[in-house]
Amino acid sequence: GQEFRFGPCRVEGVVLQELWEAFWDMKDVVQAQDNVTSVRLLRKEILQNVSEAESCYFIHSLLKFYLNTIFKNYHAKAVKFRILRSFSTLANNFAVIMSKLRPRQENEMFSISENARRRFLLFQGAFKQLDREAALTKAFGEMDILLTWMQKFYQ
Amino acid sequence: IAEDNSDLLQHVKFQSSNFENILTWDSRPDSSPDTIYSVQYKKYGEREWLAKEGCQQITRKSCNLTVETGNLTELYYARVTAIDAGGRSATKRTDRFSSLQHTTIKPPDVTCIPKMRSIQMIVHPSYTPIRTGNGHLLTLEDIFQDLLFYRLELHINDTYQMHLVGKKREFEFIGLTPDTEFLGTTVIFVPTWSKESAPYMCRVKTLPDLTWT
Repeated sequence: GQEFRFGPCRVEGVVLQELWEAFWDMKDVVQAQDNVTSVRLLRKEILQNVSEAESCYFIHSLLKFYLNTIFKNYHAKAVKFRILRSFSTLANNFAVIMSKLRPRQENEMFSISENARRRFLLFQGAFKQLDREAALTKAFGEMDILLTWMQKFYQ
Repeated sequence: IAEDNSDLLQHVKFQSSNFENILTWDSRPDSSPDTIYSVQYKKYGEREWLAKEGCQQITRKSCNLTVETGNLTELYYARVTAIDAGGRSATKRTDRFSSLQHTTIKPPDVTCIPKMRSIQMIVHPSYTPIRTGNGHLLTLEDIFQDLLFYRLELHINDTYQMHLVGKKREFEFIGLTPDTEFLGTTVIFVPTWSKESAPYMCRVKTLPDLTWT
């Protein structure tokens, strides 16, 4: 079967197509709430040229943020917009992926993990610049950008 | 009191097939026929809306934005402004558009070659309007690479079909009866993106066995 290979980090048992279909089920509802069309959080320069070695650190930070900040605070909206099934499918799969990621902590990996951290901080910085609710809505609506990036590591 | 001009503009959306991206819209049947439309577009994340040349003050209800929305790593918006003869106007925006996510796949072009006891099926590359830096047209195979498969079926009779699936473009159904008609179907599918084309169909007859005549 297929698996995610974020550098040394391998994640099996997740079917990317199911994540896509969960997102597509709610995409128009979610993205229609985001009227700040002039701001993109997961900008190209943040996602571009991520090395294999860096990718495990980077995806770990992103998924942790998505689970602890975005999903956690978007739940009430998910109920309101009746998209709880898609919401849960994505949240559960993200939790599975994160639980299987083991970013290495050795000293020689410090510069690589720092690169990944700088990328994540660019994303988080853009998130913090927006009004809280607008930022949550935008980040949630940008999961297709995240999934498109993750797809490169799905083999 | 805000004027309700929604009759001027409805269903502003992208229709995308093999990465040809057409913006379409409607107006209510009873709206005035001399309404004019102007199209703008932009990348998601950018501030400025750009006017689409060739789609300014037009009366038709479609606009080809393939070139303007051709970067596969970008997402886009488009919007239409309608103005009727009475000076009433309305502007409506599309949903966020990604051609990678939204495009549908057209049936492939296939050459079906009957032989005496087999049928060869050669799938031709599916070209898109997207050009590389040096001007070459990209094919679906270029874009989706190892995510793209072909699935072929040969209908032997009402209850029995033969199946072949693969990434290469030449297939052969073997062990067939001479001088018999078969229906072959071929689809392109990209499972990870949940995309599947309608089938290309060919009806062919294996050659007669002339050895003993």
